[in-house]
Amino acid sequence: MRILYIEDDAKTAERVARGFAEVGHVCDVVADGEDGLFQAMRESYDVLVIDRMLPGLDGLSLVRSLRAAGRKIPALFLTSVGGIDDRVEGLEAGGDDYLVKPFAFSELQARVNALARRPPPVSVQTILQVADLKMDLVRRRVRRGETDIELQPREFTLLEVLMRNEGRIVTRTMLLERVWEFHFDPRTSVVETHVSRLRAKVDKPFATPLIHTVRNVGYSLHAPR
Amino acid sequence: MHRDSLVRSTPFRLAVAFAVMVVVAFALTGIAVHKLVEWELRRYQDKTIRETYSVIADAYGDSDLQDMLEAVEMNVRATRGMDRIFEVTSADRRFLGGNVRDFDVPDGWSDIKGRAIGREPDLAYRVYAGMVDGNRVVVGTSQQENDSIQEILASSFAWATVLVAVLAVSGGAALAARVRRRFNAVGDTMHAVSRGRLSARIPSLGNGDDIDALARDINDALARLEHTVEGMRQVSADIAHDLKTPLNRLRLTIEEALDREAHGLSVGEALVEAAVEADRINETFEALLRISQIEAGSRKTRFGPVDLGAILEFLIEVYRDVADDAGQSLFFDRRAGAYPPLSGDRELLTQMFANLIENAIRHCPAGTTLTVKLQNDPQGLVARFEDDGPGIPEAEREKVFRRLYRLEKSRTSPGSGLGLSLVKAVADLHDAAIELNDMKPGLGVVIRFRPDPRVCAA
Repeated sequence: MRILYIEDDAKTAERVARGFAEVGHVCDVVADGEDGLFQAMRESYDVLVIDRMLPGLDGLSLVRSLRAAGRKIPALFLTSVGGIDDRVEGLEAGGDDYLVKPFAFSELQARVNALARRPPPVSVQTILQVADLKMDLVRRRVRRGETDIELQPREFTLLEVLMRNEGRIVTRTMLLERVWEFHFDPRTSVVETHVSRLRAKVDKPFATPLIHTVRNVGYSLHAPR
Repeated sequence: MHRDSLVRSTPFRLAVAFAVMVVVAFALTGIAVHKLVEWELRRYQDKTIRETYSVIADAYGDSDLQDMLEAVEMNVRATRGMDRIFEVTSADRRFLGGNVRDFDVPDGWSDIKGRAIGREPDLAYRVYAGMVDGNRVVVGTSQQENDSIQEILASSFAWATVLVAVLAVSGGAALAARVRRRFNAVGDTMHAVSRGRLSARIPSLGNGDDIDALARDINDALARLEHTVEGMRQVSADIAHDLKTPLNRLRLTIEEALDREAHGLSVGEALVEAAVEADRINETFEALLRISQIEAGSRKTRFGPVDLGAILEFLIEVYRDVADDAGQSLFFDRRAGAYPPLSGDRELLTQMFANLIENAIRHCPAGTTLTVKLQNDPQGLVARFEDDGPGIPEAEREKVFRRLYRLEKSRTSPGSGLGLSLVKAVADLHDAAIELNDMKPGLGVVIRFRPDPRVCAA
């Protein structure tokens, strides 16, 4: 995967680029907003990671310019200020995801993976399948093998998010945002509780578990390897 | 503030403009009065001349010229020094009597100059001429008296105008100086504020005039400004305090790791500890920033209609299982019937309610029942978060209250302190009152929302 990382803090940029390189991605780093825009227009990347506050051209304007030029490349904003209004502004400017600094690299990696392989929005999937687990998005039904599984509406959404990201890590924060629309960090085990309820229905009665815990990061749903 | 001369001040300019208007009005009045008096005097003069003429003509009686001449002579004598003129001439223009002679005027009224009758050349005379049985009788009066009356009148008016002008300008200047003193008080205050003395206020006279009202508005704005700045100062102090301690711990942890490495020991555990510490620092920082942003009120721009019942229902759904895992029961007691939507920030209200529910779950032991109630009081919607847990001991409650109502300076556990501060900040933003009740046993947190006038009116 080719990633363009526009970041003016050399130390962060170096660490992130090395992290991506270790997992087999190519990560180009640009330290200036204008150079970043130029680079993003000239070369083809799978994902853009953009710091909001940049010299030359700020991150918001950069993404606006890209979108105005018709580039649909997925963009993730890194924001450092509180993130209350920043998030909304970022998404309005054409960003696809945001992450508040300081972040864990595993979190950034999970989000970049999710963005890069996001299915094109034109093809509407109505059936999701992982191993013998099937989800019918139209009838809102879940089956594993020959067994129907009854899920609460929110459990259904939780499973849907995990299934859409099959084989990739979904972090706790990503789940909080996508399933419950929580943009704050709860002090209780909301995610753990609901994942364990979901597991009790989807994994417990069956021989092979599909939902896997990635320690200190999040969860991943995939067929047994 | 710039101290320009009084002459350039707005009140003084207004006063001068007003004085000019008064003087012009006064001068115009003077001219009108002058004309009116002139006209009246002339009428009176004509009447006198006419009467005198009649008396002389009457003296003629039955063709008695001598009687008439005597009457003329009497009049001449009686009016000596009053500059009146008489002349009687015969039909063949022979002088018969009077005190002037040899001048020519048409019948009826006419105005002549003194030189025509051998008197002071520029003096104007008003004369009346008429025929009495073939004899021509002329009676006249000099205008001198009228002219001098009018002169006196004009000069009085001129002096009065000067006096009015002087009074108007000096009075205006005095008033302007007074107004200017008050403006200067405003200027001095703003100057002090711009120099950093935010507690400066404009002195109020309390007479309720417009400058007073303006001063009150400015003072209100200053009070808000001072409050905001004080809040920011407080936040900086809080950040310093809340972050210094964990930063210190982080430093110690790293030092320990370095130490262990020097002795060839594993450092994994210390690093995990350091990461946790860094996360905690970030969490505190985020919470403080969020609270200060909420307190600054900038979030009001994101206000929209929100349904409190729907938010609470959603949160109960999220937290019921969490409470269940903790061995507690969470119920939603929705007693509110129909109610208008509230104008608010859905995300912040969600976080506030979530905070309150989480506080109860975290601080209550297994077996506790947590009840969330939504009531529709006449005063507005009321959300209650009640538990039958241990509650808060009397002494502790005082502390929680203080922490709730003021960002306390000495915070030991950033978790709960900031949580409640955030609840308070969000409630404040929504103009909602918050109170803590002793449920005997347990704790009850009550949040009273005010009905939104905009939504009600719609």
